[in-house]
Amino acid sequence: MEEKEKYLNPYIGGFLLGTVLFVAFFIASEGVGISGAFARITAQLIYLVDPFYTKNNAYTVHYLYTGNALANWLVVETFGVFLGGYLSAALAGRIKQRVEKAEGYPVASRLLFAFLGGALVAFATRLTRGCTSGQALDGISGFSVGAWIFMFSVFAGGMLASVFFRKQWKDV
Amino acid sequence: MPPLFANGLISNGLNLFIGLFIGIAFGFVLERSGLGTARNIAPTFYFRKIIVEQVMISAVVTATTWVVIFSLLGWIDFSKVFIPATYVWPYLVGGVLFGIGMVMGGYCPGTSVVASATGRIDGAVFAVGMVAGMWAYYEVYNAIQSFANSGYAGRFTWSKLLGGDMFSTSYIITVILGISILAFMGYMRNITLKKGDNR
Repeated sequence: MEEKEKYLNPYIGGFLLGTVLFVAFFIASEGVGISGAFARITAQLIYLVDPFYTKNNAYTVHYLYTGNALANWLVVETFGVFLGGYLSAALAGRIKQRVEKAEGYPVASRLLFAFLGGALVAFATRLTRGCTSGQALDGISGFSVGAWIFMFSVFAGGMLASVFFRKQWKDV
Repeated sequence: MPPLFANGLISNGLNLFIGLFIGIAFGFVLERSGLGTARNIAPTFYFRKIIVEQVMISAVVTATTWVVIFSLLGWIDFSKVFIPATYVWPYLVGGVLFGIGMVMGGYCPGTSVVASATGRIDGAVFAVGMVAGMWAYYEVYNAIQSFANSGYAGRFTWSKLLGGDMFSTSYIITVILGISILAFMGYMRNITLKKGDNR
């Protein structure tokens, strides 16, 4: 996997990330987050098909208080994450269509696990009130004990399940 | 006093506008640090790479240091910043499910967005899977509602648990835990790479 430009030192990357996070605290009065945006996008998609579902569902109903589930800071910020990721990769010459997996591992299996993994992660974020951004980064930076409970559980779950997905990441 | 939006010092529109640029900076740094690809994320669960821990822990140590400095100088009222409440049982169970999904899918939500933006089809498929997972949660929410709200402890910080305040207990424990995890993961990675196994 030849890349035109090397990645940033992870500690410098972390320093910049932490500073961006603090700017979010300082201005928006909340940290960065992604899963909340996906929850809202999903609620809005369902609303387009079946408005009654979104209005009558005990979970999604509060997303409609502002009239549109997408009128929210997290949604705008997540759109920015997409743009920022594209910008960084484009400047470094790293935009390329590909599927990340071990060599020789079937593409269909990889994409099936990507889909199922995404679904499981999303489901979990509703229980945990956020993901590795909105719960772990924001919570730990806000001195929350719960965010550490979340993060230790993530690593426990990932390491326990890792044996089943070894082939997928064999030479990665 | 900041935080600006919570204290009414900027309008909702301006906050959203700035939010776009905060997102751009966030995505930019994630990609720059190498977290836009499953190749640098999934191996963390096999102790082969620890970029995830290096970036996350230096990020939280940096952010908490800014919080402490700005609070000491009276430049921010951190109690006005939204921090997710603690729900013990859902966080334990949800965290384990999240970890399983992460090693299965190779991403977490933010990194899948960056991966999608950079041409990774597996990242885009992960993001579509997330929409399905959200919908599944809405479908079963009524049945699991009481569990989802169990073990509620509010804004439960280290100083609330152990005494002291943000500047002593909370900050020190966050830094010590972070450094300990980095040391542990670095040690495990070195053993794994030396033995050449865990493939």
